[in-house]
Amino acid sequence: MTGKLSVQLSNTAPMPLSVQFDCAPGELVALVGPSGSGKTSVLRAIAGLLKTPNLHGRITVANTVDGAVSETVWFDKSADSKHHTNLSPQDRRVGLVFQNYALFPHLSAIKNIAISAINTPASDINNLPEKLVQRLGLDGLEHSLPSELSGGQQQRVALARALARNPAVLLLDEPFSAVDAPSRTRLYRELANLRSSVSTPMVLVTHDLYEARRLADRVVILDAGVTLQSGTPEQVFSRPRNARVAELVGIQNHFKGRFYKTKGAAEGVVPSVLGQLDWQGCLLTVPDKNKLDDGAHVTWVLAAEHLDITSSGTNAACEQSLPPNTLQCQFLEVLSLGESSICTLAPLGFTGLADVRLTLILSSAQVRNLMREKKSAETASNHPHLVVNIHIPPQSVHIMPMRI
Amino acid sequence: MDWPAARTSLLLAFLTAALLLPIGVALARWLATTSWRGKPLLEALVTLPLLLPPTVIGFYLLTAFGQNSVLGAWLAQHLNLHLVFSFEGLLFASVLVNLPFMVQPIQRAFASIPHNLREAAWVSGLSTWRTFWKIELPLAWPGLLAGVALTAAHTLGEFGVVLMVGGAISGETKTLSIAIYDRVQAFDASGAHVMALALVCFSLLALALVFAADRFGANKKPVKT
Repeated sequence: MTGKLSVQLSNTAPMPLSVQFDCAPGELVALVGPSGSGKTSVLRAIAGLLKTPNLHGRITVANTVDGAVSETVWFDKSADSKHHTNLSPQDRRVGLVFQNYALFPHLSAIKNIAISAINTPASDINNLPEKLVQRLGLDGLEHSLPSELSGGQQQRVALARALARNPAVLLLDEPFSAVDAPSRTRLYRELANLRSSVSTPMVLVTHDLYEARRLADRVVILDAGVTLQSGTPEQVFSRPRNARVAELVGIQNHFKGRFYKTKGAAEGVVPSVLGQLDWQGCLLTVPDKNKLDDGAHVTWVLAAEHLDITSSGTNAACEQSLPPNTLQCQFLEVLSLGESSICTLAPLGFTGLADVRLTLILSSAQVRNLMREKKSAETASNHPHLVVNIHIPPQSVHIMPMRI
Repeated sequence: MDWPAARTSLLLAFLTAALLLPIGVALARWLATTSWRGKPLLEALVTLPLLLPPTVIGFYLLTAFGQNSVLGAWLAQHLNLHLVFSFEGLLFASVLVNLPFMVQPIQRAFASIPHNLREAAWVSGLSTWRTFWKIELPLAWPGLLAGVALTAAHTLGEFGVVLMVGGAISGETKTLSIAIYDRVQAFDASGAHVMALALVCFSLLALALVFAADRFGANKKPVKT
């Protein structure tokens, strides 16, 4: 029975690295970051493939035997102490799915899978390779060479090879980057199925945020070798810790502003203390979590799912009559993607916001409804002139200090 | 056809290839993966016989292993090994001269194996030795075949070194290429012709084998993604 994987690594040269995370059995942690962020290096370090003299830290895997928990140290090297453990990749019991699968081109699918069970006693193998073939839907392809398989099939063979070793930790290095979109969707489902039957810690490296969000229990955002933030996908995507994280996780609606504390607290709103955000002249009521100083320069993010969008009754901008925390915006562009549409909007009425654009993904039905309401007033024009009122409730605003 | 010469040539070609194969594989595998600083110099040394006139090699071998040299006298006295004007000497010279023909194709074959296949094998629990046998060698075999074929063909055709080190002793060190020379000297064109044609055929066959192996190997190259 395998247990938790604990990773704590630091490196100075050739590439700086400072990463720390745990991964419980059955949990999937995604390391996310742009290329060159060190995510693959972390994975290689866990597998024992990273050969660099300056690597320090500790990698351990917990074991449970008859209820007693012990710990296997895979790597342990600190700058001061003399003892130094560094198990070879062969001794680490990892399953690694390489980015381009690295299948052995001269071996059939089943031999590719069986080769990693080569050191396991026959009694423990228990036809594991054959079972994996069946479980991953590779029946009938056992004797095909990798070059005769499609990308998705190769990916499944690679996954089966990684699992055939009965690994203590499963590592996935951009496993979906080389397959087309339909097979990717199928593979996501297969990975989800797999997770219900395999209880090892799993670490996935990806640059694809959608993938991380869809698959991972927790994400670790890496940039230039340093952990910027870790948490559940919801936490990281809705409350990025700073502007760089917001940028990395691809949040489009992030803006600059200044934060001011208010004396009195408004009643009846969930966060008991509210502050005010000066968004280049537009004042918004926002939550105050007592983490920011009065007058601080901030980056803030708009969580689009909390916004209320209503058709504005009149065409002309008249801020006076608008309810608090409501902004009048004009549609500039609507890009239909079928069920949903990507809409670009420009705020009206504030000269400071002339260059600001909001990007909202609305359901196409909602866009159509807004237009229909509008049409009673003005039939001829199309959506580029559609003006709407957007209510921005305080909980939809997430404020971060500017990155220093 | 000078049958004793043909027998000497074939035996020499076979033994040279057989002796050189393990040496070549070990050296080529190491050269293909090492990042040692002295690698260019060693590669130059291995390739040197390709460029040097055979007479130069023959001359230095005679100097090094002749009865008047310290090394030659020592080998003769203690091991009863005579490396000049003997079949053993011929074989030794042949191994040396054929080093580039064996090492280069094998080195290229090992170098073309993507490193992540080795890593995948390690992560699958295969030791370095097992990775070599199960993964690297099967993938490099067209290179091994090329090395053997080129070495054998080149040994049959070698003239200068063989003449200088071997001395054309009939039945012992006289090879086909020397026999052809003798026939031509004796104005026996038809005698030379038979043997020359045999050598052409053999070399052609060996080269065809090399290219066929290369083509077959290309079908098993790592899959594109």
